[in-house]
Amino acid sequence: MEHILLRDLDIPDIRNFDVYVANGGYEGLKKAVREHTPEEVIQIVLESNLRGRGGAGFPTGRKWSFIPKDAPIKYVVVNADESEPGTFKDRQILEKNPHQLIEGAMIAAYAIQATAVYIYCRGEFWDLAHALEEEIEAARQANLVGDDVLGSGWNCPVYVHLGAGAYICGEESALLNSLQGLLGQPRVRPPFPAQPGGGLYYAPTVVNNVETLANVPWIILNGAAAYKAIGTPESSGVKIFCLSGHVARPGNYELPFGITFRELIFEHGGGIPNGKKLKAILPSGASGPVLPATGEVLDAPLTYESVAALGSTLGSASFILMDEDTDMVWAAAKMTHFFKHESCGKCTPCREGTYWLERIYRRLLRGEGTMRDLELLKSIPRNMQGGVTLCALGEFAANPVLSTVQHFYAEYEEYVRHAEATREARQAAEQMHDYTLGEAGELPEAVGQGGVR
Amino acid sequence: MLAEKYADRIEKIFSKYPDKRSAIMDLLYLAQEEYGWLSGDALEEVAALVDVDPTQAHSIAGFYTMYSEKPKGKYWFQVCTDLPCALRGADDFYQALCEYLGVEDGGTTEDGLFTVEQVMCLAACDRAPMMQCNFHYHENLDLDKVKALVEQLRQEAAAAQGE
Amino acid sequence: MTETVTFYIDGQAYQVAKGTNLVDAAKMHDIDIPVFCYHPKLKPVGMCRMCLVELGSLSVNRETGEVERDEHGEPVFRWFPRLQTACTQVVTDGLAVRTTTEAVVQGRNSILEFLLTSHPLDCPVCDKGGECPLQNLTMGYGPGESRFLIDDKIRLDKHVPLGELIYLDRERCIQCARCTRFCDEIVGDDVLAFHERGRRLQIVTISDPPFDTKFSGNTTDICPVGALTTADFRFGARPWELQEEATICPHCPVGCNLSAGTRLDRDAGGKKIIKRIMPRQNEWVNEIWICDKGRFGHHHTRAEGRLEQPMLKQNGAWVPIDWPAAYDLVAAKLRQYGDSLGVLAGPSLSNEDLWELRKLAGLVASEPKLGVWPAAMTGGDLVAQVGVGSGTMLRAVGPETAILVIASDFEEEAPIWWLQVKQAADRGAAVVVANARPTKLDRYARAVVRYRYGEAVSVLNGFAAQALKDKSLTGKLSESRVAGLSQLRAALKGVKPAFGDAGRMLLSAENLIIFAGGEGLSVAQHRELMQAAANLLILTGRAGRANSGLVAVWPGANMQGAYDLGYSAEATQALLDTPPRMWIIGAANPVAEDARAARAITGAEFVVATSLFMTPTSEAADLVLPRQSFAEREGTFTNGMRRVQRFYTVQGIIGDSLPDWKIFAAIGERLNGPKARISAGAVMKDITAHVPAYAQASYPRLAQVERQFPLVGGDDLYYGGTAYFNLSGLGLAIPPVAEDGSAQLEVRPVTVDAPASTDADLSLIPVRVLYDRDVLFEPSRLMHHRVPPPSVELNQADAERLGIADGDRVAVEGDGYQITATARVDGRAPAGYALLPVRLSSTPAPTTPAACTVRKIGE
Repeated sequence: MEHILLRDLDIPDIRNFDVYVANGGYEGLKKAVREHTPEEVIQIVLESNLRGRGGAGFPTGRKWSFIPKDAPIKYVVVNADESEPGTFKDRQILEKNPHQLIEGAMIAAYAIQATAVYIYCRGEFWDLAHALEEEIEAARQANLVGDDVLGSGWNCPVYVHLGAGAYICGEESALLNSLQGLLGQPRVRPPFPAQPGGGLYYAPTVVNNVETLANVPWIILNGAAAYKAIGTPESSGVKIFCLSGHVARPGNYELPFGITFRELIFEHGGGIPNGKKLKAILPSGASGPVLPATGEVLDAPLTYESVAALGSTLGSASFILMDEDTDMVWAAAKMTHFFKHESCGKCTPCREGTYWLERIYRRLLRGEGTMRDLELLKSIPRNMQGGVTLCALGEFAANPVLSTVQHFYAEYEEYVRHAEATREARQAAEQMHDYTLGEAGELPEAVGQGGVR
Repeated sequence: MLAEKYADRIEKIFSKYPDKRSAIMDLLYLAQEEYGWLSGDALEEVAALVDVDPTQAHSIAGFYTMYSEKPKGKYWFQVCTDLPCALRGADDFYQALCEYLGVEDGGTTEDGLFTVEQVMCLAACDRAPMMQCNFHYHENLDLDKVKALVEQLRQEAAAAQGE
Repeated sequence: MTETVTFYIDGQAYQVAKGTNLVDAAKMHDIDIPVFCYHPKLKPVGMCRMCLVELGSLSVNRETGEVERDEHGEPVFRWFPRLQTACTQVVTDGLAVRTTTEAVVQGRNSILEFLLTSHPLDCPVCDKGGECPLQNLTMGYGPGESRFLIDDKIRLDKHVPLGELIYLDRERCIQCARCTRFCDEIVGDDVLAFHERGRRLQIVTISDPPFDTKFSGNTTDICPVGALTTADFRFGARPWELQEEATICPHCPVGCNLSAGTRLDRDAGGKKIIKRIMPRQNEWVNEIWICDKGRFGHHHTRAEGRLEQPMLKQNGAWVPIDWPAAYDLVAAKLRQYGDSLGVLAGPSLSNEDLWELRKLAGLVASEPKLGVWPAAMTGGDLVAQVGVGSGTMLRAVGPETAILVIASDFEEEAPIWWLQVKQAADRGAAVVVANARPTKLDRYARAVVRYRYGEAVSVLNGFAAQALKDKSLTGKLSESRVAGLSQLRAALKGVKPAFGDAGRMLLSAENLIIFAGGEGLSVAQHRELMQAAANLLILTGRAGRANSGLVAVWPGANMQGAYDLGYSAEATQALLDTPPRMWIIGAANPVAEDARAARAITGAEFVVATSLFMTPTSEAADLVLPRQSFAEREGTFTNGMRRVQRFYTVQGIIGDSLPDWKIFAAIGERLNGPKARISAGAVMKDITAHVPAYAQASYPRLAQVERQFPLVGGDDLYYGGTAYFNLSGLGLAIPPVAEDGSAQLEVRPVTVDAPASTDADLSLIPVRVLYDRDVLFEPSRLMHHRVPPPSVELNQADAERLGIADGDRVAVEGDGYQITATARVDGRAPAGYALLPVRLSSTPAPTTPAACTVRKIGE
């Protein structure tokens, strides 16, 4: 079957505007604008059961339907701040099939009658963001974005905004703050982005993930029923699965929902290299709970529902695979380090909790951990969960700790029992560069002196 | 001054947003491009352009990792050592790179050419080990490949110096 | 009227206005939901997570629409599975909250544990110790011991100056952002921000000058930990040693309520002195804010050089004399020169002082000339007619109110009013700024009107003409009670409605407040301005209503009181035109401030001055009497909105100094006047008996308090340490005459004289700056870094013509004066004018507009 999203695998040059158009590109947008009312477009997407591919899985059509019709200013913001460890699917779309995103975003914009589209790219996507601007210009010259789109009288420019290195800006309200030139910290919700006061410049705003929007042109062209026929009734359509870590063929795989872990990892990914056994799976990057590679897990279908039933989350479907030799304490330490580094610091449990957890892992890796530390690893993350944080990052940060403690506790005990640390673990501990603990002398000049120049 | 030198670019940046303040991130990039890093003077310049107190520019520059408020090497190697990359040898790669260049973690070579840092996931996990050099991707790396890159950049820098 | 809804806390039903913040709603019913980042004056941000509660709602049967009840008939609630922050919740009908369940207690415990992980345990040496929300809440809710290893603690700088006034302890900071949000939301000075992120998130400023705002001290009040401390109080005393005394700020017409933290101090020889000044809550006046001048400008109360005895000039030398001798001497001189007596009352004399001074002058002169100083503004009598009506509360006005600020550099002249007007603009009030030059309030104005100096009246006349053309704008006018209407209408007939947009904004709102300053106006012109403002208010039916009326932005704390008690700038003018042979100068320094006044005073036969220090004016006097500052005695000030407010004795007496009223009364006794009263309260009783407007202003009445919201007292677990509960009086707002429906009002046409052309290069415009070298402020040395050097602002074109560049030393000269200053060419001065900030130079300069020449004298 031909790809719906990763069409670059079928048509290598589809990133070029002409090639994209020659292969049916922008027909979805034309159809939407010429044959459907905005309400009909929302209805089609609703019926397709397209759900957000950024991780939360919220029905896309419903999200669009929340936008008040009478608001004079409305925005579509594309979340291209792809930063979850193990996730690199949006990057492939942006790089290899950018017009499909632009088209999808324009259809979304038409559906809510947006006045502008902003594509928020993470700063590290420097090159592809600048290339994207050129592709937008090509589409503008073809009257597909900008003023009087396709002669409909509707104006909707598309802009690219570059982030500058902050995982938290993938959280939609932090992203909006960042776009407004404020600190990229999450906002209090409600109001949600779709509501007045909650969106970009406080106007009603739809924030959608890149992959989500890339589905939309196909849905408009082929109809909701055709899309819903793919995958399972609850988890409809196709999904890009990212495979990384200990896997023979790492990369992106566009597959229908409902295939099993085993099919994904062993048939498509080629299994585990060097004849090793698979030990653990992170199905949702660093932010979802880790799953031990049991037969039950491997035979489970990949849908939002079944992965949740296993005690984890499908999230962005970013599979980090770990073979039998992987030190799970080390792996949890790596992830904890990540979340500590990326905590925005706005709310207490996440700011303090991630810092505290990292200190404990550092001790464990150095061979200085105690049973008391293991007790803390059980309780501190609990105090970061249950809605006590401002956004989900705090919950995410707790997951790798709690799930590794749950499934691989023996390895933790081993660390404590062997007060002598392994050379590797010690090196890993040293290598977790700690900016946080730096003395004031390390701060930029102005901060070190308290800002007084 | 940025305002005179890049009047057109700045104008274009402002034209994207209904609120001037949104331009602050792009303008910080511009200042960093121009001066190599974001000094107090550079922050003041950007702040004046978007009509905020310099403290606000300082705040934004400090929040994001891609802005530097300290001088750095001409080439900025940012190696991802996050879990997926580390599972494919990124930690060892990073260690080897530091040793090859003779710098500590986060350090700059004595000739001022290279700064080496660990960074968080760069969305290239399937092509680890990998890094960015001045925000451009270099993937599926090993020490030999990076040695070649270093050589090439040294020559580039020498040539630029000679001009 | 806002809808009232029922909500439930821990099973108990309560009523509150719909939309009230949940934390506030609970507090209104005396239930504490602990917070750190939330502050009732700031927008909620949900950062600290301390206010976690269980939220739910009444369970309603979907079919019947009825509330479901259990077997006991109690309503059934549905609960969210997760804890929620109360601060980000507004109350809706049927909202339920549980604040004492195990989950909530556990949640609060864990938040406190997190906050305390890296917070230093230095309470014993922390300035906030004893009044610290973190300390209090830890005692109330926190874990008994720490599970966090001390070695893991993050170590950061502990003595970081954020400027000259505020210090930051980075270790103590809990990243609540109250300080940054105060600067952004309340003040609009975005000079504080967070740097970095995660656990490294920390407060920084790189503004120039550092922490550049006039309100910086307030951040230390709202800081819920000891992270921000003031240079004034840092390591100065422990909060529990302090006795809080109520007082009123003596610096400007806002009349901020203050709490003086005092103790018996070794450094003051065991005397009771002020250790710090903090705001005292008065939602009618300053809410819980004060400016840095009020907070740090109290050092004159115990500075070196305070006069301790009466001093007599004999053969050019000063000799101390005792009080009886001083009284006798003044009485004798009054007998001698009573028919040629001039009285000058300074801006910080209390009503009691003013009353006794007036009585004294009345003993020797049938129509004593009672002048005010500085004599730059007038029209207090018009404020008495059409001042703001009862119930006026700036902090509550919104879109229904328009505010005009005219001829004033508002932030410099009345900082807290500026703050409140700025926030009113944020809430949707139509703020219009009219001045001859840009000022900071322009930033928040819906419209800005520019006129030429001296022509401010034409702006008001233009608005009035517009009101006459559009009947909808004068609908509330009851014509029968207004005299002079037809003349005014006739006079305005020829006036073109100018500034149409600004006028429409001002007049289409239900209420109109006019703040009138005196910048660029002579006293005569200022009277016209005030009259034109009164005309506009009367003509549009706004006079005598709540949140409407005229307010003068006086150059001092009690100028309105002086007018209410019969003093005026016109009297001062008359005295300067025909100088008397004897002067009584109460707490004023005209010799230093005005060249013409200096001449008039030095030429007199006998001058007696009450003063805190030896000033140029006391040097020029024959007898100097040591007065007590506001801190050493009781009294009342009447603020610009005509609220009479009491201040109390807060510190020990310096030397033999006395309150002015007592001095004047004692002299009066020697002139067969009535026996001196024994207390300020008794003097006020006399005032209530003789001054009808003040009939209700007895001390007990002024001391009355009411429950104010938000509750922000220092020992309250709810917010903690923000300001002090007001236990000593909210004062009494004197209603304007116009509020009495039967009172007759009068309008009077005012015309605009074209400014006289002069041969001089430039017109000198005295302008006021907050931080100056006034007698009451100069001794506060820690503020000297904010007091600019003497300067004169020139327009670019004038500067070029005169060959003057920014930063040059220049001589500014005119009839009878010459000062040297630094030239500033920064685009604020209109062409043809030189702006001269007053009270910066040690040489006297004009206090009202005058001709001048400016020439360069050096680089």
